[in-house]
Amino acid sequence: MKRLKQRAIVLQLVVFVTQWGLMIIGFGILALFVAPLRIQSDPSLGRYFDAAVKAMIALVLSISWLFIWDRQVRLYFYKKGECAT
Amino acid sequence: MLPSGWEVTTAILLAIVSFPVSLVLTRFFMKINAERGIVGIDVHKLNKPKIPEMCGASIPITLILLSTAYVIMGGGNGLVMLAFSLVVGSAAVVGALDDRLKMRGIYKPLLTLLCGIPIVALGLLYPSQVYNPTLQVPIFGSFHLPVIYLLSIPVAISVTSNTTNMLDPLNGTMAGGVAIISAALLIGVLITDPAPSSVFLYASLLFAALGFFYFNRYPSRAFAGNVGQLSVGAALGALAILSRSEIASIVAMFPNIQNSFFFLSKIKRFTEHRSLTAKPTKLLDDGRLASTSDPNAPLTLVRTLLVSRPAKESEIVSTIFTLYLISGVLALITMILIG
Repeated sequence: MKRLKQRAIVLQLVVFVTQWGLMIIGFGILALFVAPLRIQSDPSLGRYFDAAVKAMIALVLSISWLFIWDRQVRLYFYKKGECAT
Repeated sequence: MLPSGWEVTTAILLAIVSFPVSLVLTRFFMKINAERGIVGIDVHKLNKPKIPEMCGASIPITLILLSTAYVIMGGGNGLVMLAFSLVVGSAAVVGALDDRLKMRGIYKPLLTLLCGIPIVALGLLYPSQVYNPTLQVPIFGSFHLPVIYLLSIPVAISVTSNTTNMLDPLNGTMAGGVAIISAALLIGVLITDPAPSSVFLYASLLFAALGFFYFNRYPSRAFAGNVGQLSVGAALGALAILSRSEIASIVAMFPNIQNSFFFLSKIKRFTEHRSLTAKPTKLLDDGRLASTSDPNAPLTLVRTLLVSRPAKESEIVSTIFTLYLISGVLALITMILIG
């Protein structure tokens, strides 16, 4: 029983550390490449357009991040097909 | 200018008072709520005991009382304390309404969106004094989000309050988990940027959660109810914004994120656990919990931990605490990397 608990903890540790690393890389992409983007030069409405585009990019990144999380948990814990999907 | 060691020490000493206050208030709610029939059934025990509900109200009351006392004593930033207290108080009201009226699942996320408005309003009235829209990123510096940050505040409060609400299926998981998160973030704040307000609020949340945990730990003698869960989650969200520990807070809440994401990705709608037709776990005749074989049941964190073999409730709770410790350490490293 103790080994079983340790196995679950180790697998979750792998999931968390991977997701943590990916999250830092994702924020790095946002900080280095997405945030400095200037799509619209118009100072009034362009500001909001820029914000919307950047928010969409951040949303796509976060959905990708959650997708990888989903795949990892299913692979490590539900790979036998037990009540998954 | 860095705050003096004396200011930080005073903040921690006052915050420690949260523990006895929360303890006494929880005991009070246990007695009153049991007398009034405000009870819930502990479904993960064979004898199905009736436990006083809504005792988690002790945590928001303690936090608001102590924040007020701290401001009266001349400590911390009054605006930050006001914003924090309004967020926690409004989330507690939403939780209490849900406890009494049993609202549909969609109302909690919608109503908790409104709980973020005090921070937005005070931030607009007093720019740069309540929150800072520059997001600090580990390793890669920071970036300014004047529009998106403002719009994200209500969403952040709604997400943290509801995700905390969702990960309290077993005795003590919410209170113990929040205590671990608060402790990790408190250490991070003390190491990196010991602003007295942030130190005080994280320490207050830690000790208030521990005071409640004394009665809520396995086997529970008090249940938090939505009033406790939503307000504690809102407190974590508000603190992430007010103390500029947004990314570290996300990391510290990894167990909550996993639980909520897998629940929602399976069920595909906001719903209450009580409304689920397919439960994620089942109680065996020997008192252990097992993962259900129902393919329609959500893949919650507890079910994931039980998928290979059944286990006692106390074992699953200790495993969940270990996961919180792991995410807490990662959050601490994140704060150190931000600097």
